[in-house]
Amino acid sequence: MKPFTRSLYTALLGTALIGSALTTTVGSALAQQPQSVVTVATIGEPPTLDPVGVTSDLVSIITQHVFETLYTFDAEWKIVPLLASAQPTVSADGKTYAFPLRGGVTFHDGSPMTAEDVVASLERWTRLSPRGKTTAPMIESIKATDASTVTVTLKESFTPLLALLAMNNGAAAIVPKGQIDGAAPLKQFIGTGPYKLLEHKPDQHIRLVRFDNYTSPQGPASGYGGARAPKIGEVRFVPVPNAATRVAGMLAGQYQFADSLPAEMLGRFKNSPSVKPVIVKPFGFPLMIMNSKTGVLANQTLRQSVLAALTPGDMMLAGFGDPAFFATEGSIYSPGTPFYDAASAKPYSDNNPKKAAELRKSAGYKGEPIRIMTSTQYDFLYKMSLVAQAQLQAAGYTVDLQVLDWATLLQKRGDEKAWDAFFTYHTFVPEPSLITVLNPSYPGWWDTPEKREALAAFNREPDAAARKGKWVELQKLFYSEVPSIKVGDFYNLAAASDKLKNYTPAPWPFFWNAELSN
Amino acid sequence: MFVYIVRRLAGMMVVMLIVAAVVFVIARVVPGDPAAVMLGSSATPEDIAALRGRLGLDQPLLGQFLIYLQQIARLDLGESIFLNRPVAQALAERSELTAMLTLMSVGIAVVIGVPVGILSAAMRGRWIDQASIGLAMLAASVPSFWIGLTLIKYLAVDLPWFPVAGYGPPDASFAERLHHLVLPAIALGIPNSALILRFTRTSMLDVLGDDYVRTARAKGLSPLVVVLKHALRNAMIPILTVIGLTAAVMIAGAIVTETVFGLPGVGNLIVSAVLRRDYPVIQGALLVVSAIYVLINLSVDLLYAVVDPRVRY
Repeated sequence: MKPFTRSLYTALLGTALIGSALTTTVGSALAQQPQSVVTVATIGEPPTLDPVGVTSDLVSIITQHVFETLYTFDAEWKIVPLLASAQPTVSADGKTYAFPLRGGVTFHDGSPMTAEDVVASLERWTRLSPRGKTTAPMIESIKATDASTVTVTLKESFTPLLALLAMNNGAAAIVPKGQIDGAAPLKQFIGTGPYKLLEHKPDQHIRLVRFDNYTSPQGPASGYGGARAPKIGEVRFVPVPNAATRVAGMLAGQYQFADSLPAEMLGRFKNSPSVKPVIVKPFGFPLMIMNSKTGVLANQTLRQSVLAALTPGDMMLAGFGDPAFFATEGSIYSPGTPFYDAASAKPYSDNNPKKAAELRKSAGYKGEPIRIMTSTQYDFLYKMSLVAQAQLQAAGYTVDLQVLDWATLLQKRGDEKAWDAFFTYHTFVPEPSLITVLNPSYPGWWDTPEKREALAAFNREPDAAARKGKWVELQKLFYSEVPSIKVGDFYNLAAASDKLKNYTPAPWPFFWNAELSN
Repeated sequence: MFVYIVRRLAGMMVVMLIVAAVVFVIARVVPGDPAAVMLGSSATPEDIAALRGRLGLDQPLLGQFLIYLQQIARLDLGESIFLNRPVAQALAERSELTAMLTLMSVGIAVVIGVPVGILSAAMRGRWIDQASIGLAMLAASVPSFWIGLTLIKYLAVDLPWFPVAGYGPPDASFAERLHHLVLPAIALGIPNSALILRFTRTSMLDVLGDDYVRTARAKGLSPLVVVLKHALRNAMIPILTVIGLTAAVMIAGAIVTETVFGLPGVGNLIVSAVLRRDYPVIQGALLVVSAIYVLINLSVDLLYAVVDPRVRY
């Protein structure tokens, strides 16, 4: 070997050795995380930590540990007390709800929860929350009747009130009156929940620590209801936008829980000795929302033709691949839930090209482009929209598929002249009146006199069995007026470390009552 | 030199003003609405309009721009719509990570690229030259996200030597935080080392053919001294330029790597802000990044004078 070559080889080898030594030194300094910390990998950074003004699922998942509502849902999606001590006393005409408050509840700042706090929080909810604003026109007054009772007086009977108050997004979260500043977002995040906010570093972590003075509701734990015991010292939410990284982090033991994972990873988790897959059912349903107000699809017959032209099974298969993660189910509510009804959803499975063509002709369709908005942000929605495009083209429609980023789609859908259909999804909600498509202000603007009447009758009806009948009527209308197409049901894949004990799968994962074993 | 620096800094002010105006206009011309993103998919147009009003987004664009210019004049980058904190604070929180990741990945790229480039030039046409050129082509062609995911699989999951993602727990020491950056720095450094390698090789080949190098060899100087002392110094200007450019690009351009490794860096901040249409963050971050670009370029220009005494300012 020539002297120059030898010298260079020596220099390079030296560089490599120094590099390895540095790596080893730094590596040995890696400390163990404390056992009482559960690290949860989420899909990203929440837009806010104020749960009232937004309906983002990610916000709900995090803030439900900090903030509580008067009521919540148990494992069977029945409404049970949370900060209330019992079910409300409802007047015979259904217009007055007296909510008894649980005593001894304290906020994270040490102040006791009072009826005044509850009144101020509910009033804030009616001003800020999309759900509260829907309810506000029906509310006559919200008053503290005594130190432990808050009474809501309605202008007319409105049965969904309790369910709206129980939801954890657009939540009627109870906060100290002093923290409320008109319509401004909360500046401090002080609730009554089993965990309190320790630190929020955007895009890095949100640290919630056990609230030692937490006062739990009584009764056995069931779903979001019953006793809540914050057994884990700290729940740390870390944003990990890349799904493959969430999977790798679970397999490496860096996270104890990860949400929204690719369905194709099920096999890897099944074969892993330290991670167990969690399939959440029910979870959500994709929707193709159609513009009932303006444009070519404002024609109801044409919307019926579109429904007949599409094969939801193909769309679901394209979107989710593994049949373990979806069901071709037309009923808006899945089997096993109180509002399930297959008969009124029959048109869902009546895919009939001949019928589609006849309806298209009778609607006078002349080849106008149907502008469908979709986004690659949610891969399954994008894939479904490709199938829909192909099937509609095969049925004789001209389709203008517009692939947008999610922020653009959200903005553009507010302009009734800009689109004819768009793809989105709806998370499972236990109360039908919470479904966005039923809101006449929601893009799509489904607001026929028949629907208004059916929805009003459903919302007035206090009897549970009779409500089911009224809901069936609404679902029939959904399939005859076709404001949207429910594509099917889909499930969510999450993963939990085998060290995480007593974890209860839920659409919005929660970690009170869960434990971390050594 | 002082006059030169002052003149360049004055020019930088003009550049910043142009950047501020262009970014402001582009951010608002692109469709999308921060209020719609913040409120989620269930929000109605009325909810969105109400929030736009509260955020001041319903004001005329010219008015918003004038307010923005006043803020910049006070060295105030404004308040993030989503992060509930000033833009300057959001940037400061990410500065350590971005600085360390840039330094480490540039370090890796230089440690691999410069010596192998020199070796390749010195051994021109030999197998080692062919091999290094081939490997450089491969490294430049492989996407950094693939390198990242592969490193995660083998060095974080199969062999748990490194953490998968993140910048360490809240109480992490500096060494632990550096440990979290090793894999991302390698994933970023390898493709960039290929660029530096190619520049180094080309620049060295230009110089090695010069008469003064032949003279040095004829004087009986050792080959190592000829290459590293005489040739390399004259070949350094293009190499320094490409190192400076690489560092500048990495400050905000490590977005894919930051996403794969779940790192809260400046690149990630900018992309999140664009997706959420967080206008103050987009404007503030791009302004600061542009300033750093200009300063890095200025530093590289000043370094020319250090490595080559013929350069005078």
